[in-house]
Amino acid sequence: MVGPIYIIAVALGIAFFMGLFGKSLKNLSEWAMLAGLGFMTYVSGQWLLEFMSNNRAVETIFTAGFKPPYSINLQMGSIEAFFTFIINVVGFLGAMYLFKDLKKTGPNAMMVYLVFIMSLNVVVMTRDMFNLFVFLEVGSIATAGLILLTKSGEALQAGMKYLIATGIISGVLLIGIIFAYYFSGSLNIDDLLAANMGASKTTVIAVFLIYVSIILELKPFPANGWGIDVYTAANPGIGALVSAATASAGFYVLYKLLPLGGAEWLNYIAVIGGITFVGSNLMGTKQDRPNRLLGYSSIGQIGLLMMILGLSDILGEKMMIIAFGILISHYAAKAGLFWLSGLIQAKDIKGWAALRKSPFLLFLFGTFVFALIGFPPFPSFFGKWELITTLAANGQWAWMVTILAGSFIEGIYLFRWLGYAIKLDHEDLPDFKIEWNKIFPIWIMAIVLYAVGVYVTPMVEGGMFINYLPLMFVLFLFAIDFLPVYIKNTISIGGIIWYMFHIYPVLEGDLLRLIFAGIFLVGGVLTLMAGYSKKGTRKGFYPMAMMMFAGLIGIIEASTLIEFFFSWELMTAGSYFLIIRGKRSMPHGYSYMLFSIGGAYAILFGFALAFASNFDTSLAALGSINLLPTLAYTLLAVGFMTKTASLGLHIWLPGAHGEAESDVSPMVSAILLKAGVFGLMILFLYMDRTSVGATNLLYVLGWVGALTTLMGNMSAAFQEDAKRLLAYSSVAQLGYILFAISIMSQLGWLAGFTYTINHFMFKAILFLVVGGIVAKLGTHYMYEMGGMIKKMPFSFIAVLVSIIVIGGIPPLSGFAGKWLFYNAVIEKGWYFQGAIIFFAGIIAFLYLFKLIHSIFLGQLKDNHRNIKEISAWILVPSYILIIGIMIFSAFPQYILQPIGDMLAPYFSTETLVWEGTKATTSLGYWDGTTIMIVVATAFLLLLAWLLALSSKTKKIEQFNIVFAAERPFRPETTHVSYNIYAGYKKALGFLITPLVTAFWESMSNLVLEFANWLRRIYGGSMQNYAIHVVLFIVVFYLIALGGL
Amino acid sequence: MEYIIISTGFALMLLGLWGILSQKNLIKIILGFTIFNTGINIVMVSIGYVRGKAAPILDVIKPSEAASKIVDPIPQALVLTAIVIGLGVTALMLVYVLKLHREKNSLDINSFKDLKW
Amino acid sequence: MIKKILIIGVLAVVGLIFFDLFNAYQGNESLSKTANYYAENGASQVGAANLVTAIVVTYRGLDTLGEVTILFLTAAIISFILKFREEDFMPNRSVRVTSELLDSAAQVIVPVIFMVGVYIFMNGHLTPGGGFQGGAVIASGVLLMIMANPNFGVSHKVIAVVESISGIAFVLIGVLGIVLAGGFLDNTLLPLGKLGDLFSAGVIPVIYTFVGLKVGAELSNIIGTISHVQNEKN
Repeated sequence: MVGPIYIIAVALGIAFFMGLFGKSLKNLSEWAMLAGLGFMTYVSGQWLLEFMSNNRAVETIFTAGFKPPYSINLQMGSIEAFFTFIINVVGFLGAMYLFKDLKKTGPNAMMVYLVFIMSLNVVVMTRDMFNLFVFLEVGSIATAGLILLTKSGEALQAGMKYLIATGIISGVLLIGIIFAYYFSGSLNIDDLLAANMGASKTTVIAVFLIYVSIILELKPFPANGWGIDVYTAANPGIGALVSAATASAGFYVLYKLLPLGGAEWLNYIAVIGGITFVGSNLMGTKQDRPNRLLGYSSIGQIGLLMMILGLSDILGEKMMIIAFGILISHYAAKAGLFWLSGLIQAKDIKGWAALRKSPFLLFLFGTFVFALIGFPPFPSFFGKWELITTLAANGQWAWMVTILAGSFIEGIYLFRWLGYAIKLDHEDLPDFKIEWNKIFPIWIMAIVLYAVGVYVTPMVEGGMFINYLPLMFVLFLFAIDFLPVYIKNTISIGGIIWYMFHIYPVLEGDLLRLIFAGIFLVGGVLTLMAGYSKKGTRKGFYPMAMMMFAGLIGIIEASTLIEFFFSWELMTAGSYFLIIRGKRSMPHGYSYMLFSIGGAYAILFGFALAFASNFDTSLAALGSINLLPTLAYTLLAVGFMTKTASLGLHIWLPGAHGEAESDVSPMVSAILLKAGVFGLMILFLYMDRTSVGATNLLYVLGWVGALTTLMGNMSAAFQEDAKRLLAYSSVAQLGYILFAISIMSQLGWLAGFTYTINHFMFKAILFLVVGGIVAKLGTHYMYEMGGMIKKMPFSFIAVLVSIIVIGGIPPLSGFAGKWLFYNAVIEKGWYFQGAIIFFAGIIAFLYLFKLIHSIFLGQLKDNHRNIKEISAWILVPSYILIIGIMIFSAFPQYILQPIGDMLAPYFSTETLVWEGTKATTSLGYWDGTTIMIVVATAFLLLLAWLLALSSKTKKIEQFNIVFAAERPFRPETTHVSYNIYAGYKKALGFLITPLVTAFWESMSNLVLEFANWLRRIYGGSMQNYAIHVVLFIVVFYLIALGGL
Repeated sequence: MEYIIISTGFALMLLGLWGILSQKNLIKIILGFTIFNTGINIVMVSIGYVRGKAAPILDVIKPSEAASKIVDPIPQALVLTAIVIGLGVTALMLVYVLKLHREKNSLDINSFKDLKW
Repeated sequence: MIKKILIIGVLAVVGLIFFDLFNAYQGNESLSKTANYYAENGASQVGAANLVTAIVVTYRGLDTLGEVTILFLTAAIISFILKFREEDFMPNRSVRVTSELLDSAAQVIVPVIFMVGVYIFMNGHLTPGGGFQGGAVIASGVLLMIMANPNFGVSHKVIAVVESISGIAFVLIGVLGIVLAGGFLDNTLLPLGKLGDLFSAGVIPVIYTFVGLKVGAELSNIIGTISHVQNEKN
């Protein structure tokens, strides 16, 4: 084992030695620097390995041959080994990244760089307070030097601000240290910690001064203008170091000194951290310089970490894993992002669209963004999960809200940024050079994120059950992303089919899960089949689609809360990337993501309450929530409803589904929405529905469902865009389902299931076929279509069948749904809501008529004369689904009877009785098979009669009519289906004024305006920043010690 | 006596801080820093003062009786380090100001506000 | 105006903090426990008559290494900051003619200053003084030379060699302490000798000599770099 002291000796030795290199040896200096950093990494890595593999004692390094407190000692324990290792790794990779910049500036800069990394090592290891001060100073002087690797006026100003601020801070620290020495007679940190200076009124002042200066080094909001400017102006390579290495070291110093003052100081640290986390992220929302934005985000993350330290009393032994998960994610992601920023060199985050020139870099960018927000499988996901659940277990609601709010705000700007990179036009953007020495470090950081994520998974309670198999498949698809569509499509379908066989025995006997698994997996296969009609490679589509399906199936398989949430987030991530693929999907993908994150946090909060109620990690914990049960139920319902797009939370859906690619729309509409339904069903089955809170919640949800249906159908009727019409129709259908299951009776749930299965089938058909037509005709607008019945007869029949199902017309299964539905409504006695739904059902006919009429009937457009039927790859899955509909319609008992039996134990009264094919309720009976036979016979008879008459028909050519008018200014207005329901719109349009959209828009404006107002404190004056620092000290003093 | 010295130290720190926060000329701000640092150093030295004791050099004082005859040597050692650090920072600041002055031909602190928000 | 009042208010509270500190300060009647240890054992363990030196170089040797590093860093940073873009900005400064008096006096005094400097760091373990003080005195000699002759160029090569060698020597002595004695920067590499002798106190005089050379070189380097930049003409 190489002693840790050699980190210092070798680094300084090399740095001093560089001065000896004459001109001839000058080229050696960069290699000497890399060798030094490599050696430091090796030493700390070797210690880390030692601590991980052997349970050895902490190593203390004595200097000068004397024992502490009489001489300075260093300490190398597992935590020190971890921190020095990550610092040295980023130091080494950073040197690689900055290789050319350092070389250009000469050996002096390399010495400074080497000494900088060394000083951070000592800061971590030292156990002497004054020594800590000295090496903090070494670090800040080195930083002030490295800022000037960028030769700009901005960098000069930032460096000066940095010097002024740290000058004041270090003075305060020094006074604190000398008084700590005066009070305790020692400079050794362990002695100081034991001195209990926080307890006495006279000695507490030293504690205050030390804390305030260490906290200020971590750049707390709002006294951090100087720090943000450094991030903005310095070379991004230096920004990466400050963000990843310096901040980690500073964080560890605070951790080291945590026992100095005693428990009451923890509160202050937590509050400052919380304010920093929220405030800094808030300010990020108005920022569009990449480096500055990263600065805000860095400071926010450090605030979160500070908060975690402050809450360490509450978090107990969980603090380690929480802090580890969040720190390592911040570390790797921020270093990676800064390095990416250095590659692209854009002045505006819009310039990051240039990343698309290299899909791998885009992949890295996505990785970092998702890691920062805390998506699985990254360590921050587990950190946040543990953080929230542990806080819930201790009843810390305010902290939970703070953390989730701050994280959400972080999502606002990170996903806007990611959206820009994925979607904005990148043709005109300047090229950037891709150098291997710059790419390699970024890759390493991404790999760290994935590897550590998998590594920490089993450390989290319940985490060992998480199934990484589907994710491996996703990874595999990434690896073969260069292959053509048909190969990847076949592999994907094969993967899903294989998983069906794999999962069937697991789920056998659990009908609820089996049905949803069927919808997700069968639906997956069928919608993927349509993908054969695409050409080329479809870069990125298959990994993302499979990630969504992995998440969906994970939700089904989940037996613990964390598994469920893990899969839920996975599904969100995958679907986000699918949705944003559409040509004009950027804003819709963005709002989908924001609603999803908000919903996910609501679910997380609810799960945390469930977990904290009985410390039960299994999903069954939802059944015994005794901490704020009503809030928990409501939050969970709201969370799931963000996916079912219920009224108020629906505004992302029309755009997201309408603008998506033709085979993505059915995936996200017919399949993905059902995840929300599944969540709601699980919640409703588990929750204590006899409680007042639950009863009220269900009542409200019933209303929400009814109104969603009305709003959805009305909006659909007024659409001109075929896919948006279908999207609104989905909103409405999900409203039916929400309403039906909110009734909480066997009949209601049967109706809900029938609607779920029906909606899956007909919406998949409709989106497949209409999407195919839209792609074929090149327009979304129905008034630009018409007369397709002759060109696309198979499409017409598919749409017709689906419409019959939606309309609830016998003999198809839609009627079964309606029959059950109205039985349930009447049984429950929700007449008023029922009336709204009934009314909405009539409106549905309007849009259904509009859909089929304006696409297939009427006049064929001139430019569509040569159009052929849509691809067979779209029709085949559609017709498979039609067969499904037919079977479900003719023999509903095979599915509905077992569901009824399954539901029976949950609901006291079994009101639906089956006799063979006949279903009977107190209100009457219905026999699907008989109806099918009767209607089919009648249909065949009529058809035969018509055919018999057809010999007498006379064919009329389409243009056998004379128009006698001028050509109107906007020709589409003469189309019969253009604005076809103008009259209704006049009468009822006020009901669908986009109040909800307006609400969310004004909310977001409020946030942005507030951020814009708040950030005026960063006016740019260095003196003001100095005043902020002193003001921070003063206010902290007045609150902590001045009795304020 | 030591009370007067330590008060002087605090007064110098306040004076320096006032200079840092209110002066417009960058050179004066740096002067503020040196005054601030001097104040800190004085405070540190007076912390180590022991009433009526001599400097910690064992020429006349015998090692055996040192403990009862000398003032605390530790703060003095620390001050030495602090002075050197202060020197380094001041030198660096001066060079920064030199460069800033070349950038805008001004020493007014308010002419360097390019980075904001 | 509001800002002025704010600053005064802020400083008033800072004054309040200092008042707290002042109240906490009661003076000392005796040494702290750490200081007491040094007073009792310093002479026998380290062998330096100047206990401050014993602390600076031995007990808290790592701090001193950090200190040296800071000066080293500052010198390195200043030389790379001032070097780049020197072609962009050249002040139009004509060099002032030095007075005869200063010139002649410098020639006489500078060697004396150097000697005093050397004396101070050589005797750091015996008298108030040491490497930093001695180095600073030497650098003041260099400053005087520059004042007397503004075109005097400090040889960067010589300085770099002195700086590097003394720095490496310091680190090496530290490492030798691990190998041969009780730890990094252990003083007992060399015999402690008799208290009060020039050749006593183990490696302290050696270290202080290197520190003195290094500090002198670094400060001269800083002064030289700054003056060099100002001497450049269009």
